[in-house]
Amino acid sequence: MNSIRIARTALRARPAAIKTPLMRRGYAEAVSDKIKLSLALPHQSVYKSQDVVQVNIPAESGEMGVLANHVPSIEQLKPGLVEIIEESGGSKQFFLSGGFATVQPNSHLSINAVEGFPLEDFSIEAVRSQIAEATKIVGGSGSEQDIAEAKIELEVLESLQAALK
Amino acid sequence: MAFAWKASGLTYNKYLSVAARVVRRSLKDDKRLAAEKRGEMELRFAKWNNGKQGEMKSVADANAASIAESTLSS
Repeated sequence: MNSIRIARTALRARPAAIKTPLMRRGYAEAVSDKIKLSLALPHQSVYKSQDVVQVNIPAESGEMGVLANHVPSIEQLKPGLVEIIEESGGSKQFFLSGGFATVQPNSHLSINAVEGFPLEDFSIEAVRSQIAEATKIVGGSGSEQDIAEAKIELEVLESLQAALK
Repeated sequence: MAFAWKASGLTYNKYLSVAARVVRRSLKDDKRLAAEKRGEMELRFAKWNNGKQGEMKSVADANAASIAESTLSS
């Protein structure tokens, strides 16, 4: 008697189960093809979680372009040019003195650097005179530390000179 | 990865500060004056011994001295 009742309810229950919609609307189409960029310096935040199309960064492992849904990674940056392609299609270029870029899993990109300025803020004359000075120190007979610092300066200045051309 | 600055005994912090300093110096004059203030540090410290304050030293100078020591020994 009891088992028959169970069978009956099971029969009755089945049509209801079939009625539940099989076609569910997913979230896949709603995912944005933009990457949220935060570019932060100790004294200023240049971009604050702003939607951009692409960011090209000078990583120690090589130049790389970051689009939306990039593989999460942490990259050490060389002193060099960061190019940001904005939603409007225009692009902006900043020279960063070196730092880190973190690509987070949810299409967020955080770039941290000590100093960063748009290219038009630099003076090519100042760069040239500093290259001459640093080259002199590298070839001179200063302390090991002075020579090491001059080599770092040369690396930065040469990258900056190439970017300004 | 072998970095030149690491081989000569500098720390990553020192490398970054040298790179930032040279970027600031490459700016056009008006921006440079404002930016170079950020590179200055005026922290001072003193060691206290038996309730008496020792000699006041600049943190920047003490850092430079310890880096110079480590580059010599390496």
